[in-house]
Formats: sequence, C-alpha cells, structure tokens
Amino acid sequence: MDLGKVNLDAPHSMGTTIIGVTYNGGVVLGADSRTSTGVYVANRASDKITQLTDNVFVCRSGSAADSQIVSDYVRYFLHQHTIQLGQPATVKVAANLVRLLAYNNKNMLQTGMIVGGWDKYEGGKIYGVPLGGTIIEQPFSIGGSGSSYLYGFFDQAWKEGMTKDEAEQLVVKAVSLAIARDGASGGVVRTVIINSEGVTRNFYPGDKLPLWHEELEPHNSLLDILNSTSPEPMNI
Amino acid sequence: MSIFEYNGSALIAMVGKNCFAIASDRRLGVQLQTIATDFQRIYKVHDRLFLGLSGLATDAQTLYQRLVFRHKLYQLREERDMKPETFASLVSAILYEKRFGPYFCQPVIAGLGDEDKPFICTMDSIGAKELAKDFVVAGTASESLYGACESMFRPDMEPEDLFETISQALLSSVDRDCLSGWGGHVYVVTPTEVKERILKGRMD
Amino acid sequence: MSQVAVEAPPKGGFSFDLCRRNGMLSKKGVPPPSYRKTGTTIVGLIFQDGVILGADTRATEGPIVCDKNCEKIHYMAPNIYCCGAGTAADTEAVTDMVSSQLQLHRYHTGRESRVVTALTLLKSHLFKYQGHVQAALVLGGVDANGPHLHTIYPHGSTDTLPFATMGSGSLAAMSVFESKYREGLTKEEGIKLVCEAICSGIFNDLGSGSNVDVCVITKGQKEYLRNHQLPNPRTYVSSKRFSFPKKTEVLLTRITPLKEMVEVIGGGDIMEE
Repeated sequence: MDLGKVNLDAPHSMGTTIIGVTYNGGVVLGADSRTSTGVYVANRASDKITQLTDNVFVCRSGSAADSQIVSDYVRYFLHQHTIQLGQPATVKVAANLVRLLAYNNKNMLQTGMIVGGWDKYEGGKIYGVPLGGTIIEQPFSIGGSGSSYLYGFFDQAWKEGMTKDEAEQLVVKAVSLAIARDGASGGVVRTVIINSEGVTRNFYPGDKLPLWHEELEPHNSLLDILNSTSPEPMNI
Repeated sequence: MSIFEYNGSALIAMVGKNCFAIASDRRLGVQLQTIATDFQRIYKVHDRLFLGLSGLATDAQTLYQRLVFRHKLYQLREERDMKPETFASLVSAILYEKRFGPYFCQPVIAGLGDEDKPFICTMDSIGAKELAKDFVVAGTASESLYGACESMFRPDMEPEDLFETISQALLSSVDRDCLSGWGGHVYVVTPTEVKERILKGRMD
Repeated sequence: MSQVAVEAPPKGGFSFDLCRRNGMLSKKGVPPPSYRKTGTTIVGLIFQDGVILGADTRATEGPIVCDKNCEKIHYMAPNIYCCGAGTAADTEAVTDMVSSQLQLHRYHTGRESRVVTALTLLKSHLFKYQGHVQAALVLGGVDANGPHLHTIYPHGSTDTLPFATMGSGSLAAMSVFESKYREGLTKEEGIKLVCEAICSGIFNDLGSGSNVDVCVITKGQKEYLRNHQLPNPRTYVSSKRFSFPKKTEVLLTRITPLKEMVEVIGGGDIMEE
C-alpha cells in the first residue's frame, strides 16, 4: 500500500477487532469502531455489532459492503423464520444462515463474522464464521485484524463460568489492547450483552479506555505535553 | 494513443440570441494519414435539431443510425419531432446502456426548443450530460477549443456575429491540432432558416 | 432461431455487445477511455431541525475542467436529496433510476418516501455491480422518523453519521467538520459550516472547484440554494469585444428556409357530409 497517497478508491473495509465471549448466563460481544478506506479512517464511530433478531447479534469484519449485505439477508430470513415458527429463532439457526451465505458465495465475499446470542434451548452461544464459511461453536471467539494480538491474552485470561461483569471487563480490556497495537482498529469500544433478561448495549469512549505500554494521556494539543510533563521531551 | 484520437475531430456548439451554431472540422484520418477532407460529422436529426459526433467514426455512424431509428419511432408514435432536451436524454440513455463497453464517441447536441429557445449539450462516451448555457466543445482539438471559446464567446450574439465567432474559434483551434482541420462545416440555425456554410481552412 | 432484422428498443439493463471489441482494442494497446468524473467535495450534516447537503460544482475529465458549474446535488424525492461523487454518468444514472423507483413507490403507497428506502435501493444496485458502477454518495433527507444522513460507497457499503464527507476533497472537508461540528447547530450555523467545508475542498483539492451548492431539508420543506456562494468569479473578462477584421473565407453557403408554422384563425367552411 502506498502510504504517501490516500487511496479513496480502495474498497471500504473494516480492519477490525471483534470479540464474542460466553459467560454463565449469556454472551458479551465487543468491537472497536474504525472503518477505513486504505489508510483513511472513513468512519471513526461505526457500529460493527449488528442486530439480527431480538436475541441474536452479529459482529462483522472484512469488507463493509459484503458483511452488510450478508447481515441484511440473514435478518430478512430470520424475520420470515420467526413468523413461520411463531417463536424466536435460535442462535444456531442464525449462525447457520450466516454460514450458508458465507459458504455458498465464498468466492465473492471477503468477510468474517461472529454470531452471538441467547435462546431458551441452549442459553448463550457464540459461533464463529470465518472467511471460507465454516461454522465453529466456541466458548469465546475473536476475529478481525486485531485478533492476532489477542490469542495469547485470551488463552490466559478467559475462564469458564465468569460473571457478566467479569466477561464484559475482559472484552473491553481485550479490545482496548488490540486498539493499542493494531493500526486498523481504533475509536471507541462497543459492547452488547445478551442474556435471558434481554439486551444491554454499552459504549466506552476512546479517551476513557485504559492506557497500555508507552501510551500517552489524551491531549487536546501536542503543546500541552511539552508544557506540563517534562521540559525536555526526549529525556524520558 | 487513445481510441478517441484514431480519426481526429473537432466540434463546437454555441448559443446566440434566439439561435445557435454548431460547427465541425472536415477531416477524416486514420491516425496521421488523412483519408477524406469532406467528412460529415454533424448530422441533422430534424429541421431544428443537430447532432455532432466526435471520436471513432465507425461508432459515430453506428450511433447515428440507432438514434435516427429511435427518432423515427418517436415520430411515428407521437406525430411530432423530439424536443432537444428529450433527444439529449435519449442519447444519454443509449450511451449509458453500454456503460461497460462504450461507443467511443462524444456527442454534441444543439437544437431550438419551445419558443425558439436554443439548447446545447455535450456528453462523455457513457452519457454524462453537460448542459451548458454558452458553448460546448468535443474532439481531439477540445483543449484549444476550450481556450478559444472561453475568450471569444459573448452572450446574446446575432446570427452573423455568432457565425464569425464560432468559425474563428474553430479555425484557430484546429490549426493547433494535427488530427483535425481541412476547413470547417458550420450550421447557424435561427427560427426561420438554417444557414450551412463550408469554411476554407489550412490544407496541411 | 432466426435473427431479428430490426433491433427493437431495449427494455433496460446494460448491454455488453461492444465489450469483446473494446477488450480486443485494450489488448492491442489502445488504452480504455477516461470518463467524466466529478473529482469532488460533497458533504452533509444534521442540524437541529433537519439535514444540510453541500457540493462544489467542478466536473473534470483527466486534467481538464469540462464543466465549471455542474449540479452534484441530485433530486431523489421531495424530502430526499443525494450528493454524488465519482464517474458523472454513474452518479447521474443511479440517482435517476432510484428516484423514479421512489416516485412509483409513492404512487403505489400514497405515502412520503423514506430515506432508508432510498438507501437500500442505492446500496443494492451498487453492490450488484461490485464497485464497477463508480458512485460515492451522500444521501440526506427528513422523513417520518426524523432527519437521516448516510454515506454510500461504490462497493455498496453504507454508514450512518451526524456529519459526512465524500469525494477527493473529503479529507479537507472532514478536517473542517471534525474541528467545528457540534450537535444542535442552527440553520444559519449549519449552512455556514457546510460552505466552509466545501470551500476548503474547493481551495485545497485540485479535483474540486468553482461554486458552492447547498440544499437544506427540514420537516415538510426544502431549500435548494444553487450557487449559494461564488468564491471564484471570472477575473479576466476583457471589456473590449473580439473583432475579426478579416472575415472568414466561406467556400459554399446553403440556406434552407424553415417551414412557417401555420396558425389557423377562425373557422372555415364546414365540411360537407
């Protein structure tokens, strides 16, 4: 990629960090909010956690156009399915529809998704549907370009039977870690918690996230750093 | 070399007071070799509507035939001539239909509409309309034509004045273009008559 | 099957007849032509009672400015407008197609069009052509659910934002919005900010230029302010008119008088039966 020139013709894509985590009673989904065309941030506050039905959400990564069209179709099919069935669709059905579209059109689509939700039969479930259109039921799933920074962290930090708050704190921490290291992830952290009681959406603005190794406090002006902290900027 | 430069062409249309003029050069070439020096690039659609087609001559002639066909169908169905605005939309639609495999020509449309209001318009090869109030140009000499028209054009010219201006703009521009020239062909259309003139130009 | 002798007017859709010939020409080293682009600055923002859209007015073909005052804010519905950037023919065609579908939908339902309807029609068309229909759009309008502003990319992805910019001048315009936009702007403040964003595109981006068009849409009404600002007036107008001392040499003149329109005044004799 030519970093000197902003390529606005590049497809609109989401170099992303997306996460889905189960806990005892439900699931927590998390995502950053950066959408880019080449090296230009086209949207710094996008919502990559899309609602499919009342109780199922999907985290989208890869090409924005492809993932939107897939989730639009799945939402449409699930509405029909819910009416025909007379009761809410299960997470498994939703994930299978995502898989079906992703697999049947795998030559056309550049998108990886994480489907998460709660239903009365199986409780909270997370399904990963990566690039080729496989479906994997997992206790937790991570995706997008930022996920490569998180595998080790999750192996260490994820525990069976977490509480809701523990799970959400884990997700926020993980996304903020990925935002710190991955250039294609950034902005804010959005989470969605789904359990038997319903859906809660939370929002963590970028300047309220924890700071990691060598990260600087947010400043309105770079001159603040020079004036306040140390007179010799290179003397750290 | 671009395919638009294969045959060479220069086209202008200008608006005057209750009249318009449309002019072209007369050369048909195959790259740098001149094939004909009396080539018709401006076609009459009906008495008050003219169409100039710059670019690849083979596509220009094909496109002209399709347009005449569609205009005749319109006349049969509606028992009237097309308004210039309608004709421009037709040309645009026919060109855009071939968005992914276009005709290599850029049309210039000029006509008198209702109440003798002059209308001029040009498009790119896939039918993006440009509706100008003053003048439009097309062809290999378009760059110099832009300059000449930009400085010579004045609003509300009388027919004779308009003829002189458009002819001078054409002749001075084609002199700076190898691929067009050999005199010019000018139509000045007023509500009462069409005056067609053939201009003498350089023959090199 | 016998070939139809005369080709009937097509019913719609693209024709790929010339693709093979044009592909052959490309293979022989003749480059494909360049199309008219609107290397553009287009913007939109949501203010306290509606949406404001803005655009510059330059159209380019390669390095040539081929239209100094074109219209980039397209009509979609009485309450919805759409700014277009990219290949001029594509933005024009896609907005025209969708606006006619919306008109038919209004005739069918008897209700005001919604912005999401326009959004879905646009994105499904653009997605179908996988980015080959090069239209980047800023769609704005006010409907039953309030004001809406969306951006649509050529590949068919969409964003929903309080302020948006598109086109080659989008970076310049976005820098203005990022530093000065806030929620609950008044109409005057909104128009001023839109003009400022467009002007930063006009002056800092070579693909954008000439004048500022603005469109203000509020509940139940809209104002299309064509050429709201003219920051680039012509500076080189000569007061003297051109005169050509030597007349152009004419080889041949042919004068065709046009048929007079005959108006029938008063009634003639009644035709015998």
